[in-house]
Amino acid sequence: MKRVIVVGGGIAGTIVANRIARTIPEELEKGEAEVVVLDKSDKHVYQPGQLLVPFNVQDPVELVRNERDILDHRVRFLHGQKGEVTKIDPANHTVVTADGVSHTYDYLIIATGSHLRWEEVPGYKDAVYSPWDFDSALKLREALDQFSGGTVVINVAKLPHKCPVAPMEATLMLDDMLRKKGLRDKTEIVYTYPINGIFGIKTTNDVMIKIFQERGIKVISPFNVTNVDPKNKVMESQEGEKVKFDLAIGVPPHVGAKVIGDSGIGDKRNWVPTDKFTLRMKDHSNVFVIGDTTDIPISKAGSTADFESYIIANNVANEIRGTGLKKTYDGSVFCYIATGVDSATYIRFNYANPPVPPPPSYVHWWGKLMYNKLYWTVTAKAIV
Amino acid sequence: MFIMIKMSLKIYKKLDLTGQSCAGPLGELSGVLEEISPGEAVEAVLGDEATKKDVVAWATKKGYKIVQERRDGNNYVVVLTK
Ligand SMILES: Cc1cc2nc3c(=O)[nH]c(=O)nc-3n(C[C@H](O)[C@H](O)[C@H](O)COP(=O)(O)OP(=O)(O)OC[C@H]3O[C@@H](n4cnc5c(N)ncnc54)[C@H](O)[C@@H]3O)c2cc1C
Repeated sequence: MKRVIVVGGGIAGTIVANRIARTIPEELEKGEAEVVVLDKSDKHVYQPGQLLVPFNVQDPVELVRNERDILDHRVRFLHGQKGEVTKIDPANHTVVTADGVSHTYDYLIIATGSHLRWEEVPGYKDAVYSPWDFDSALKLREALDQFSGGTVVINVAKLPHKCPVAPMEATLMLDDMLRKKGLRDKTEIVYTYPINGIFGIKTTNDVMIKIFQERGIKVISPFNVTNVDPKNKVMESQEGEKVKFDLAIGVPPHVGAKVIGDSGIGDKRNWVPTDKFTLRMKDHSNVFVIGDTTDIPISKAGSTADFESYIIANNVANEIRGTGLKKTYDGSVFCYIATGVDSATYIRFNYANPPVPPPPSYVHWWGKLMYNKLYWTVTAKAIV
Repeated sequence: MFIMIKMSLKIYKKLDLTGQSCAGPLGELSGVLEEISPGEAVEAVLGDEATKKDVVAWATKKGYKIVQERRDGNNYVVVLTK
């Protein structure tokens, strides 16, 4: 019997486990293979929706479901202490869970995600609201309800972070929301970013920065935040800038999961060294890495994980069966970019082709909302 | 001007930045270079000369040292340290 263990049942782990189950249903039913998902939590949070919560576009209740309900019935699921992985040991093909049990595997898929390290920037946690954190997204909604004008600073503390386009989206949704409330004239919006411009890909940056200019959004970049003074509401940068604000919305520094560091299998920020084409962990051919967990210079996004899941599911299934073609990942990413609270554009690209966003429209906004809605019934279940 | 890579310099990470990535080559590099300790370097593989020039200009402005620049087929390799 071949055992596939998936560590982490977030977007990436869930989609890949379901896709494997749909690819080798007979082997699973006959007991020739087994897919096990391990997660410390039995709840699944759809993080992309968190970005829409502060702007009253998304009901937060809809963002959390039971992981068991999303997983294919042929996939085993362990959670709590039984699912919390404390050590990943690729040399011995085992993972250890918090209940002390050692699980051996034939194939391992690491999907432990990216996590916020607020404390890297002194004062950030106390002064900055972040849709990257579920609770903070709710608090930001309240703060925006009460906001009556002033300076709002949007900040990205460090690259990479999950959903690279989301800071631009937050800025443009804020601008639009304030216009609709009649508060835009009383507000200055300042966007601060660690490298020149507002986004890393030149073709996209050039289109998006024009929208920022048209909407009167001030850009300060490069801006690498060093500390935030919560009392005086001032954000300082390595470059020597000081920005005074009334409200700050930001992306805290990201790192890979703690278990990656504890197991000594990651780099200094706990990202797992991964081959950008095969998605195998470097030096361990029976270990795959998916989603935010990799160190591949590519978007940390749910759509990335979805594209990657086809390659991993195909290759794991074929190795179990001993047949078939090997697929490789071409760097595909697709991201909608909200340009207001009723308009959006998108980027679709891969390693070889840079993206140019089309003109913003209501159709793409509708697409973004539909994509979010269909997550539970289509994407997560690996139906397509 | 090229400075010889000191034998003691350890490559902490090789970054293949030939493909498109959301943070862009500078964004990817800025995150990784902040992490390196003394005696470590980052090797960046870049797909075209314009990007290589951007990386060298950006790194020089940020105070990083370019310890090596070389061609590798169609790619450009730049080794950077603090
Ligand atoms: C504000 C915001 C907006 C976004 N917008 C978009 C968007 O529009 N489009 C898009 O494609 N993406 C978007 N994303 C990004 C997307 O949410 C992530 O890229 C995606 O969740 C990554 O999936 P993952 O499975 O790698 O990580 P996660 O979904 O974070 O899952 C990781 C899982 O691992 C588990 N885990 C961690 N450590 C352990 C352990 N030791 N033992 C067991 N389990 C463990 C966690 O409990 C969690 O369930 C957005 C993210 C945010 C925060």
